[in-house]
Amino acid sequence: MSFARTCAVALVGVEGVVVEVQADLEPGVASFSLVGLADKSLSESRDRVRAAVINSGAEWPQKKLTVGLSPAAVPKCGSGFDLAVACSVLAAAERIDPRSIAELMMVGELGLDGRVRPVRGVLPAVLTAAGAGYRHVVVPEEAAAEASLVPDVSVLGVRSLRQLIALLADETVPEEPADERRGGDDGEDGVPGLLGAGWGVPQSAGLFQAPHAEARHAPDLTEVAGQRLARRALEVAAAGRHHLLLQGAPGAGKTMLAERLPGLLPPLTQREALEVTAVHSVGGALPAGRPLIDRAPYCAPHHSASMAALVGGGSGLPRPGAVSLAHHGVLFIDEAPEMSRQVLDALRQPLECGHVVVARAAGTVRMPARVLLVLAANPCPCGRHGSAGGECECLPSTVRRYRARLSGPLLDRVDLRVPVEPVARAELVSGTVGEATAVVAQRVLAARDRAVARYAGTPWTSNGEVPGHELRFRFAPVPSALARAEQDLERGLLTARGLDRVLRVAWTVADLAGHDRPTADDVDAALELRTGVRRGAGVLGSLP
Amino acid sequence: MTRDVGVEESPEVWETRRARAALARIVEPGDERAGRWLEELGPVAVWRAVREGGQPLAGASAHRWAGMRLRAERTDPDRDLAAIARLGGRFVCPGDGEWPRQLDDLGASRPIGLWVRGPCSLRLVALRSVALVGARACTDYGAHVAAELGGALAERGWTVVSGAAYGVDGAAHRGALAVGGATVAVLACGVDVDYPAGHGELLRRIAADGLLVAELPPGAHPARSRFVQRNRVIAALTRGTVVVEAARRSGSLITARHAERLGRHLMAVPGPVTSGLSAGAHRLIREHATLVSDASEIVELTGAMGEVAEEPARPVVPRDLLAREAAQVLDALPAVGARDAEELARGACSSPEAVTARLHELSSLGFVERVGDRWQLCR
Repeated sequence: MSFARTCAVALVGVEGVVVEVQADLEPGVASFSLVGLADKSLSESRDRVRAAVINSGAEWPQKKLTVGLSPAAVPKCGSGFDLAVACSVLAAAERIDPRSIAELMMVGELGLDGRVRPVRGVLPAVLTAAGAGYRHVVVPEEAAAEASLVPDVSVLGVRSLRQLIALLADETVPEEPADERRGGDDGEDGVPGLLGAGWGVPQSAGLFQAPHAEARHAPDLTEVAGQRLARRALEVAAAGRHHLLLQGAPGAGKTMLAERLPGLLPPLTQREALEVTAVHSVGGALPAGRPLIDRAPYCAPHHSASMAALVGGGSGLPRPGAVSLAHHGVLFIDEAPEMSRQVLDALRQPLECGHVVVARAAGTVRMPARVLLVLAANPCPCGRHGSAGGECECLPSTVRRYRARLSGPLLDRVDLRVPVEPVARAELVSGTVGEATAVVAQRVLAARDRAVARYAGTPWTSNGEVPGHELRFRFAPVPSALARAEQDLERGLLTARGLDRVLRVAWTVADLAGHDRPTADDVDAALELRTGVRRGAGVLGSLP
Repeated sequence: MTRDVGVEESPEVWETRRARAALARIVEPGDERAGRWLEELGPVAVWRAVREGGQPLAGASAHRWAGMRLRAERTDPDRDLAAIARLGGRFVCPGDGEWPRQLDDLGASRPIGLWVRGPCSLRLVALRSVALVGARACTDYGAHVAAELGGALAERGWTVVSGAAYGVDGAAHRGALAVGGATVAVLACGVDVDYPAGHGELLRRIAADGLLVAELPPGAHPARSRFVQRNRVIAALTRGTVVVEAARRSGSLITARHAERLGRHLMAVPGPVTSGLSAGAHRLIREHATLVSDASEIVELTGAMGEVAEEPARPVVPRDLLAREAAQVLDALPAVGARDAEELARGACSSPEAVTARLHELSSLGFVERVGDRWQLCR
């Protein structure tokens, strides 16, 4: 009778649960059972582990073998437990010393030939292990960079089970050839690094644009011709974290503008970067060369995306959706009125709380989803409504119904509504170039710093978080500044909540302009950005 | 301003009202032929003729007459009058105290009668009234302007009349209601029918604080032709019509045409020239309509003499009013420092005596001051 144990991590959403892997050998008819609520892919582990162990030159114990994964009540899935199971079996069979693996955390899938293959979610697994006190982890070699992001943990990256056995038994480590197929080739678009066909990852190419793609060609604001109003709106959106609706005819440049918003956002803090990397690791979208994502991600799901693709879910335990992959970044929904009403409404929770809760039979999972939302919409189904000279064939009732597809409660949370006109010929050819992303990003950073300084000592860090009555009393604008907004309130053009939102945007405009308090011009600019109707000097008049 | 309910009517008046109520269900709005019958024969006779059958009246084809007779079979004026009374409304006929005389400008096609619901007197609120009409699929700009104008007009004591449709109409009504002003909605269906469906709440508010007016009896549903006819009532009821935002082929342009034909003031609000949704309004401005940009300009046109729009605040620079020679002398003075008359004469190309005279003038106006025997600009 022999017993060995080691540790692995089960992923629930983007967080992990420490799982103890115990192997027990009893005399009896040779059998291998795996207990602990393993799902299908995990139960296939038995065959993989057996083949891997034999092909690594070790002997498979011919006894009654039971491997338990505890806590038994947590559902476990995936192939990441293979390495831990194999090592615990080998330790129970006394091929390696059980004490050497007792304090280790291991994660990795085993190929039938004994190779250790990378899996998703290595970073959250290592974070969990570190949090639980484990100081040494064993991961597949390709995931070693990702695992080393976690401080105070020593990471061992192995290429094969044979190597690991030799290391643990203090023998000479055999050489393993590197896998040529995966060597250093991440030149394809869309799904670089850990992803590839056949690794159990859905073909989500196009769903997500890897941040490291910007090393090749970062979109820059100088490429946008004209559109001064929309550029200002991007700046305000980035500086104050205000959600944005771009309305205009097809081809006006809404997608181009949205793509350039992440570049304006400040770089992520260490904590934010780890959070984002963890989500991407679970989603299987980490780039190979640079495991740490330190710039705001950009995610643009197609408008036909299902609820699970947008918000997270899928069969079994929920996987992060687009809204989580865009955590601390930009979520762009093009053709928003074409998206299913239900799916759009599902965005309300993340917009409000900054996380999304997905409940399934297998369990309830909470995933982070603090996004900056950009919606793009055409004015009507044919796209020509309101353009001079263009004949729109839609009936007024059709136009109305199309507009109503973006529900009131969702639009209410969108602070900025900007018309994007098709660029005039003169502007396209004139050659005058707008400001570069770097220049605007500087202003955005300065504005954010002003806000943080202003809210020092309060629980808030940005204009968007401050509640309404605080805005009106503690952080009030210049006394006469609200006159026009209050007139709108009286006329029924603005609700009281709308007025609070206008005030928040006005503070962001004031931060960008370097004013101590929002002036009347700042409030006018905010009104224009929120309602789409120009007042006074307008947005273009008030900002530098 | 409520009408006395329960005032006793003479039998003839009652019969006429019944007959008109019946014909309101049989005759489509804007039917000129029927209007002529009413003028020549009187409502009671026409109602009897349709009810009893026999020869079609002058000008009616056999089919048309048969159709009218079919409708007459289903018509029960007492039921309709009871229905409107249950709603707290009344049926207003030509000759009533509440009948707005300006509707008679429509001649033979004037409404047979109007079903009215609401606490105000139709004639009184229509005296100082302006129609605000525009596109149903309007932009934020159009809705904003409509609400602004509606509120501002209501604040000045003018009634806002519109069609309670989506878009500009709804915004205009809401603007007026928001400041507690009077608003009248002229409908293309019965006053108890919610059309458009999404405006049910708005219609109830107007019925409570303003007036709902319809040519069609309670329960009647809207049809395309009825919208066109409804627009003529809007144009006729008001002193002027303002088109806020209209595309090239908007229904509100029909209202504009009616207003023009009736000799009412026609006004339009411009929009961005890049927007196709203001193209209709721009064409109106080119043709006959007056450009207006706020309520005071509207009131200036439609109001009585003396209700002039405020002059927009413009900085009055005294220099504008100076005579040419005096202005030249003023220009000759340096910004800083004093000069004597001879130097200034050189600068102003004039004689020292003339210059001195001008300087004295300027001094009395407060532009220059004397320092010894030299002159300098006042600080």
